[in-house]
Amino acid sequence: MSHLGNTHSSLNVNSLRDLARKELTNVLDSVRGKKCLVLDPNISGPLSLIAGFSLLKEHGVEKVHYLQQGPLETELKSLIYICRPQLNYMKYIAEHIAHHQKDVVSNYEYNLFFVPRRTMICERVLEEAGITIGEYHLDLIPFEDDLLSLELDNTFKELYLDGDYTSIYYAARALMKLQTKFGLIPRVIGKGDCAKHLADMLLRMRKEVAVDDPSSTLSVSQNVDSLIILDRSVDLISPLCTQLTYEGLIDEVFGIRASHVEVDSAIVGPASQKSAPAAATSTSNAASTTSQPSTPAKKKKIPLNSSDRLFVQLRDMNFAVVGGVLNRVARRINENYEERHQAKTVMQIREFINKLGGLQSEHQSLRTHTGIAEEIMAYTVTPEFNKALEVQQNLVAGIEINLQNEHIEEMINRQVPILQVLRLLCLLSLVNGGLKQKSLEFFKKEILQTYGFEHLQTLLNLERLNMFVKQGSASSKFNYVRKHLQLIVDEVDEQSPQDISYVYSGYAPLSVRLIQCVTKGGLTPISNPVGANAAANPIGTGGAAKGIVGWKGHEEALKMLPGKTFDEVQKLDDGAIHSKKFAQGQQPRVTLIFFLGGCTYTEISAIRFMAQQDEGQREYVIATTQIVNGNSLLSSVMQKMDNLGHSAGGNF
Amino acid sequence: ITILESYKQKDLNERTNKLKIALKSYQDDKEHAFEAKAVDENIRLLQVQAQFEKEMNQQLVGLPLNETVHKCITTNNPNKANKLKSDFKIPDKRFWWIKLKALVEMRDWPELERL
Repeated sequence: MSHLGNTHSSLNVNSLRDLARKELTNVLDSVRGKKCLVLDPNISGPLSLIAGFSLLKEHGVEKVHYLQQGPLETELKSLIYICRPQLNYMKYIAEHIAHHQKDVVSNYEYNLFFVPRRTMICERVLEEAGITIGEYHLDLIPFEDDLLSLELDNTFKELYLDGDYTSIYYAARALMKLQTKFGLIPRVIGKGDCAKHLADMLLRMRKEVAVDDPSSTLSVSQNVDSLIILDRSVDLISPLCTQLTYEGLIDEVFGIRASHVEVDSAIVGPASQKSAPAAATSTSNAASTTSQPSTPAKKKKIPLNSSDRLFVQLRDMNFAVVGGVLNRVARRINENYEERHQAKTVMQIREFINKLGGLQSEHQSLRTHTGIAEEIMAYTVTPEFNKALEVQQNLVAGIEINLQNEHIEEMINRQVPILQVLRLLCLLSLVNGGLKQKSLEFFKKEILQTYGFEHLQTLLNLERLNMFVKQGSASSKFNYVRKHLQLIVDEVDEQSPQDISYVYSGYAPLSVRLIQCVTKGGLTPISNPVGANAAANPIGTGGAAKGIVGWKGHEEALKMLPGKTFDEVQKLDDGAIHSKKFAQGQQPRVTLIFFLGGCTYTEISAIRFMAQQDEGQREYVIATTQIVNGNSLLSSVMQKMDNLGHSAGGNF
Repeated sequence: ITILESYKQKDLNERTNKLKIALKSYQDDKEHAFEAKAVDENIRLLQVQAQFEKEMNQQLVGLPLNETVHKCITTNNPNKANKLKSDFKIPDKRFWWIKLKALVEMRDWPELERL
């Protein structure tokens, strides 16, 4: 099918975007004439990454509405709904239809497309409504050349709390699609029960495909030599820590959705529309899709992606360094502007003018990021933030655990937001393998009395997830893992990092360490220069940097972590896997990493850093069900109490 | 376990009734001793709140305990606050935090001096 290899990554993810776009136009064209598009609000973000409003218009979309409660007023007679198969949406649609039927001359035409699959139960609800139902297979959405996301918001809760495995099915379908496009991935390695589930499903699907259509056997992928599936439940610690990279902190402070962040327009200053070509298309799209009355506080959507060169430079850095870089860039831009005074000849002036456009857009993005950075700075200097960070770092490092209890207690007494408290408490429980009965009950009582009794259910949920529990008999397993995998690195040079631990200023995310184990068989010794990896590696002598090592040598540590471990080899039926040797050293190998249950921006940064260290030997493509942070992770399992008007924290 | 949906009930009596059902199901199960206690406490809190509400002319029902105490202090009912403290075994430390905040909010400096 498509050819691999383009300028950025050996895995051409853009072809996925093209595919999604093409399918979208098919969906739109299936209805003739002018039509009104009704979108699931959760999908509109990801969809804008696929297609701009102009594309929709080309295919006859006159108006875009959000799918929400209440009657839908439109003069257009053809309606296209695109939404997730969720029951409440079905109710809204049924409402719309009922509303329209009150009109005498109702001759509306309804078309409903489920993303990514239809479900029985949703079809049931609308059975008699006279509606055309289809599917729109939007699954992995490319955010960047190395980042794909399914954008399923609640997978963590569904998988681990509700035991609802539909998202695994979606993930498996998406991975199958990848395999048909890029070839069979010869090795599948993973950790965690749900991850195992996914791998099994993937293998089964492949067999089914082979049975259905024997001619379409997949050939082994030329580039992708391995798929690593990680379960979020294996490493809950990393997302609970406060992210310290620039992009991670933006997510913590403002929240990033579909690689866009919404901030007060006052922060980023008067913005010109031409800041970046991508900005123009996406903002216009956003503006036209808002059928709701606009919010009084002026918000501006800022795209965060690799079209912004400055952001590319900043996104994966530890925030401590960002200020300095911004300063340097500012100075350089200033110098460039100054050049005009030296321009004497006409040639020089023309040259300068040519540069001016680029310079201005750079200037604009600098202003944006300085604004954002300042805002984050204001947040990071607050005593609460620093206190929380200190507790966190002590916890993961295992320093003075008991003292941290007191700090957390004080935070509850000060009534800091409950999410912050819960993050720390879960962390405490996770690193210690649970809390002592007495302190567990003490904290529970403190929380209920401080934040309200309705959080009882939240606490129960966390207990079910093993995130906030009574201490078991065994002492902390995390201690062993921490030591074995060198999760704590004392001396971190944030300016020129040597190890992935820079992302949390000292703590290396467990999930990424595990990936390192698989691909390299061990850690990069911090003292050694990058090139000496292979030599320092005890296991894979010589070829360690090239081949996939698997879990060997780390079985003990893995046993300490929850969930099954697996390592499967996918073969062609004729066993031709070895005959097709990879062209050694010519093309970088690609490892696909799939996070089931979400990953954080910080983990992404750490993986990118790893790729840099590998010097083009190996590339990593990250796929995830969604992008999370500690807050979104916890709030998804929290008891929703919207109807309680006066909940905790009213006047504090 | 999710009978805690009782929170959806607007009416106080309805709510306590639902909670009592929840309480019962928790009590049946030894594993959930803590939850049983918590629900029981909540029922008591709601009752006290309802009573205070009548006496003080303040919206109280449904507030977390801390805020109830806070309200008691800001509305010059320190005795009620103390009663809540002993009834619900609020640790000293937390009680003083609440009191401190409430007094600062009222700008009651002489009272603060006395602490």
